[in-house]
Amino acid sequence: MTDATAGGTKGGRKDPVTLFERHRAEMLRARRGTTILLGVLFVGFTLWSAWISNFTPQRLAEGLPRIFEYFQTITPALEWDKLFVGRDASGDAVPGSITFWYTDFWKYMELLGVTILMALTATMLGAGAAFLMCFPAARNLTPNYPVYWITRRFMEFCRGVPEILFALVFVFMVGIGPLAGVLAIAVHTAGALGKLFAEVNENASLKPVDGIAAVGGTWAERMLLGVFPQVAPNLISYGLLRFEINVRSSAIVGFVGAGGIGQELNRTISFYSDDRVLAVLILVVVTVTLIDLLSERVRERFIGTEST
Amino acid sequence: MLALKSLTKSFKATTAVDSACLEIEQGEMVGVIGRSGAGKSTLLRLINRLSDPTAGEIVFDGKDVAKMRGRELRKWRSDCAMIFQQFNLVGRMDVLGNVISGRLFEIPSWRAMARVWTPEERALAIRALDRLDMAQTALQRAETLSGGQQQRVAIARALAQEPRMMLADEPIASLDPLNAKVVMDALRAINRQDGITVMCNLHTLDTARNYCDRIVGMLKGRVVFDGTPAQLTPDVVRDVYGAEHGEIDESATSTSLRGETGQRPVVAHA
Amino acid sequence: MALSLTQDQITEVRASHPDAFPDRAQAIRRWVPWAIALAYLLWSLSFFEFGKLLESSDRVLRLLAAFVTWEDMATWNYGRIYAGILETLGMAFLGTLLGAVGSLFVGFLAARNVVRLAAPRHAVRRFLDIFRGIDQVVWALVFVRAVGLGPLAGVMAIFISDLGTLSKLFSEAIENVDKKEIEGIRATGAGPLKVICYGYLPQVAPVMLSQTLYFFESATRTATILGVVGAGGIGMIIIERFRATLYDQVAFVVLNVLIVVAIIDWLSGRLRSTLIGR
Repeated sequence: MTDATAGGTKGGRKDPVTLFERHRAEMLRARRGTTILLGVLFVGFTLWSAWISNFTPQRLAEGLPRIFEYFQTITPALEWDKLFVGRDASGDAVPGSITFWYTDFWKYMELLGVTILMALTATMLGAGAAFLMCFPAARNLTPNYPVYWITRRFMEFCRGVPEILFALVFVFMVGIGPLAGVLAIAVHTAGALGKLFAEVNENASLKPVDGIAAVGGTWAERMLLGVFPQVAPNLISYGLLRFEINVRSSAIVGFVGAGGIGQELNRTISFYSDDRVLAVLILVVVTVTLIDLLSERVRERFIGTEST
Repeated sequence: MLALKSLTKSFKATTAVDSACLEIEQGEMVGVIGRSGAGKSTLLRLINRLSDPTAGEIVFDGKDVAKMRGRELRKWRSDCAMIFQQFNLVGRMDVLGNVISGRLFEIPSWRAMARVWTPEERALAIRALDRLDMAQTALQRAETLSGGQQQRVAIARALAQEPRMMLADEPIASLDPLNAKVVMDALRAINRQDGITVMCNLHTLDTARNYCDRIVGMLKGRVVFDGTPAQLTPDVVRDVYGAEHGEIDESATSTSLRGETGQRPVVAHA
Repeated sequence: MALSLTQDQITEVRASHPDAFPDRAQAIRRWVPWAIALAYLLWSLSFFEFGKLLESSDRVLRLLAAFVTWEDMATWNYGRIYAGILETLGMAFLGTLLGAVGSLFVGFLAARNVVRLAAPRHAVRRFLDIFRGIDQVVWALVFVRAVGLGPLAGVMAIFISDLGTLSKLFSEAIENVDKKEIEGIRATGAGPLKVICYGYLPQVAPVMLSQTLYFFESATRTATILGVVGAGGIGMIIIERFRATLYDQVAFVVLNVLIVVAIIDWLSGRLRSTLIGR
């Protein structure tokens, strides 16, 4: 239908299909370079990372059955007819019952309690430190630039180093036990919450701050009376969220000797490969889930009432 | 007496306030007029040092405010109250707390931050609110009030400071005509009854004429007019606003409720 | 202060506006939560024997000094250190990639608008909850027991835990698609696979890519930790050095990891903003 000779004109206008094809070819050519480069990089990186992680089909083939074996060993040998049987005449638990599986139940509960307390204390300490730092670390509120820079770098350090490493260090400093865990999580929380708090502060309105400045308030008064009332609900919400996360961390940090249920879990996994592993694991998962749900409820109610 | 001597504030490319010289006696009610960007707001913010001058002096009671720092500066700010166009209250704090915060300079820091007030402070705040007819909202959160109400609370806060002078930066620009009248009446009452000097940035000429003893006109950062409302003839008005052609119709921005300017009354209801 | 107010005037105001003057009961109610919190904090500090921190101040100082005095830098095995960092990155990349691909499939299985039957969908969701509920480090420990020390355990740990979280995110994105676009494609007579490709994927792809990148960022952090429990990467090297009291090298390695993570954060942030921008 159209006269598709190169540069063919039709009464002064070029043929639209040719124009389009030419334009498309140009665009593709321009894009192709980058697309091919990215594609090659991606595939290359994938293959390299598989090699470096020993993620070969051979290893997988060896490993997968062993994974299933392992899960078998840690599954408890429960018998239906003995499930809810209590202790027998001589005070021993009967094998095949839940009581037997959870022989150390109260020990675990105590450790879980300590773990939750660890998280609570660490969150309070960390949030307190974060609160002190979040005003100098806010670009629009800080008294001067060096203070801002130092506070921000310090918070990044606290946040960047994994809690387990802090835990290792603190275990060395104060010995094995929950104190090391509390300190490690508190330091990490100070960095993480500090950054979040500072970001909230940077989005606060400066109008009340001006108002307090105009009546003769000091910098601290400007922060606490001008900024804090605005951001308080957000800070509390982030704090509660952090407590949730910290309960998880408290369980983990025990792996390096910093107390709580983690220490017990590490012991069980490393020394015994039996059903006690699953016993502790289940308790940990249930506890964390419960705390998550509770915290979500509290946060919803808090934010809900605030917005009325 | 407040004296501004060659007060200048320049930013990188522009000069917001250019060698302003002004003497204001205690008890005067001064209105500052001029087009947007003429430097009115900057001038006021220089006086209470929310902005720092590039050159010049601000002398009050023999001391140069421009050089004050630290506690002395904060004392000056508590003596020199400011009303803002956007009220600048602490929204989530109750009205009572907002008014009491006017006394921040006197209240020890720890009591201020813990918000523990003495009965004297509370009584003072309630009386100030009562003068503005706002005592019934004392326990409400400031952000629940309307614009006009918030501005009245802001004035109560200024009163609580027991200041020597008040600066009002476009106090009625965000208000409807009825609230504007209430606010300006309150400022004039405070000026007359308490003898507090009031300096007001206004963008409506008739408000300036009606309420102020003295009018200062600014253009491009310079003071181009300083005199009584009577001296503000249409020619002068045109010079102050820098209009090239034709008359300026003052009623175009009038917020008055009656035709007090003597010109066509403007329909101005909420 | 408020000397300008006489006692009579104060009494008068008190009488006319009693609400503004809180009584003892109200004041107590205001401060009780703070008192409880403070009491708990003090009790827990003593419960955790906080005093030990102050007692061991000399150990603390010695350790801090050891972190900053770097000795014999020439003898440090830089090759191993940087190989370890690369191994960690590789682990994180592969684990996240596999997790993302897996979550793509599982995400559709867990989405209300794709799998109409409640039962299989809920089963899938509960499994994902378990994967998510058990922390990545615990998975790593389990996999180390199962397949031995080394990065394979780490990749599996990241894969499983990402599967748990990303699948939920993806399924939520899928559930939030604009139904009109799906209807449009279906109206052309396309089969279910094509509907997924042309209807769902274009809408959810940016979100999925963005989330995957974010998880890669966080995987590079957690991969370091996984190494600490034996799942390969720089974490194992850090533990080695720590146990050998070579604290200066520990500090060096941690600093390098921080820098690498910061770079990846920045790159990922740029990538994500171009994605969302599009």
